[in-house]
Amino acid sequence: MDIFLQQLANGLTIGSMFALVALGYTMVYGVMKLINFAHGDMVAASAFVGLTIYTQVMGQATSLVAVIAIFLLSAAVMACVGVILERVAYKPLREAPRLSAVVSALGASLVIQNGIMLIWGPRMKIFPELVPQVYWNFGGVVISLIQVLILAISLVLMVSLYLFIEKTRMGAAIRASSIDQDAAKLMGINVNSVITLIFVIGSSLGAVGGLFIGLYYRGITFNMGWQYGLYAFIAAILGGIGNIPGAMLGGMLLGLFNAFIAGYVSSTWADAYTFILLIVILIVRPTGLLGERVAEKV
Amino acid sequence: MKSLERFGYPVFFVVIAILPFLLDPRWQAVAITFLIFAVVALSQDIILGKAGMFNMGQALFFGMGAYLTAILNAKFGWPMLATIPVAILIPALMGILLAGPIVHLRGDYLLVVTIGFNIVFVQVVQNNLGGVTGGPNGIFGLDAMNLFGIKLASQVSVYYFAFAVLLLTLGIMANLEKSKAGRALHYLREDPLAAESIGINTRVYKIFAFGLGAGIAGLAGTVYATQYAAVSPEAFEFIQSVLFFSIVLVGGSSIPGVLLGVFVMFVLPEIFREFATWRFFIFGFAMILAMVLRPRGIWPATFGKIPKFLIKESNHGA
Repeated sequence: MDIFLQQLANGLTIGSMFALVALGYTMVYGVMKLINFAHGDMVAASAFVGLTIYTQVMGQATSLVAVIAIFLLSAAVMACVGVILERVAYKPLREAPRLSAVVSALGASLVIQNGIMLIWGPRMKIFPELVPQVYWNFGGVVISLIQVLILAISLVLMVSLYLFIEKTRMGAAIRASSIDQDAAKLMGINVNSVITLIFVIGSSLGAVGGLFIGLYYRGITFNMGWQYGLYAFIAAILGGIGNIPGAMLGGMLLGLFNAFIAGYVSSTWADAYTFILLIVILIVRPTGLLGERVAEKV
Repeated sequence: MKSLERFGYPVFFVVIAILPFLLDPRWQAVAITFLIFAVVALSQDIILGKAGMFNMGQALFFGMGAYLTAILNAKFGWPMLATIPVAILIPALMGILLAGPIVHLRGDYLLVVTIGFNIVFVQVVQNNLGGVTGGPNGIFGLDAMNLFGIKLASQVSVYYFAFAVLLLTLGIMANLEKSKAGRALHYLREDPLAAESIGINTRVYKIFAFGLGAGIAGLAGTVYATQYAAVSPEAFEFIQSVLFFSIVLVGGSSIPGVLLGVFVMFVLPEIFREFATWRFFIFGFAMILAMVLRPRGIWPATFGKIPKFLIKESNHGA
């Protein structure tokens, strides 16, 4: 039972990080029908940006205000990077065959990944201890303050995103653009600004995810984006790509699945089990858990 | 296009044929890998370009061929030549088996599932399943290939073996384009629904494309194992599949396009090796630029002899 509860706590933590990153994939996919392969590297970049803001701008302060400032500044920087990325690599390809944009995204991923390496160097960096190391022991189950914070902040962010998408006019514009871009344009929606907005939201959520990865795992490397990006992307697919609650569900599910596999089975086969889960779910439900079954348009 | 077929191909083949005598050993090795990657990229083109299925796991079949050759040679003492049929048939069969349940998936889902197959494969060989794959170190010390009395001991002889395999693949590709299956795949990619409604069994042809592509990639794997007399898991990581995927799309889904793609995506980075750290940074920009300027690849596919004025510009995939 101890292992179960411990892995439940770990799984929820990892899962909320996956979910935050998965939201970036799923929102971009929803509107542009494009897998943004550079998103994982953006997440990695945000951890490095956060590190630099901590050492250079904040003078290594770890007060509550400083930590909030680090999060906000990193999110702002990554939002700008996301918008630039869209302008340079994806906008010119909106009318092109879909796979061209995929290759462009792969190119962008290489640029960001190697950009991180050129700026911060190829060696692993240690992310600062922004949150005090507080642990609680509930009869053998150890939960850290970081875990609680990650889970709580992720939940708040996800609920607010959900409300934003469902209840506001801008959210309605996003939903409309993801159903049918042309019809949305005819209704007077500026699809260009919707796409910009999507990249701002997706990249800043990814940035928060990246900082959480830094806080939780401590060691950050320039090429870690692929790993986390791939997992988050699987999470998005599990939930049904393009579906925002689906990404949250998929992320949590994948986090829990990973944690339980690591706790009960083996960690050397973790990747294999993850993909087997994905393949089985896609064979049973070809559009993911919450994805709608839409006939492909003719 | 006509003049290319008349002059371009002979010139290309002559250059390829005399190339090893113009290069030092390091570049000979690059040239062999160029030929092998060209074969894999062409096999990827059958699946991705011709059949239009988003396959990002071609390194799986490539690796499977290489590993089968290595295991049968090093662990079971088969001669290298005898492993060739196995290294073609098992990956082809595997391609058919794996493709069966997934070909109906929507493009991007297929892409992730094929990435998944690739990652599972690498994990299987890394964890030394069954004790025959040699774990993270792989298998080394393979015999030299003995082609009916000719021993492929030198680098130049391996080069010509790879060249022969490339010629064979080009022959298959040329035949495919003129065959019933090739036409079916073409219609399938252009418009699956229309193809289905004129009586093309899309499912069968999609699986056929996977099987054929996988078999050719398996053969390329054998050549790869021959070149290095060794195999190791990192040569077949899924990042390698990303390379083959990009080669086809950057080059364009045609024979000259794919060859050009291999040159641009593999040989050019080798040439710019001195720029070590900046190399892939610039390379990424080049990929974006190539797609922005030529979204259908540097050398796009053409099909059949349809007069130009009948072709309507459309935005279909690849």
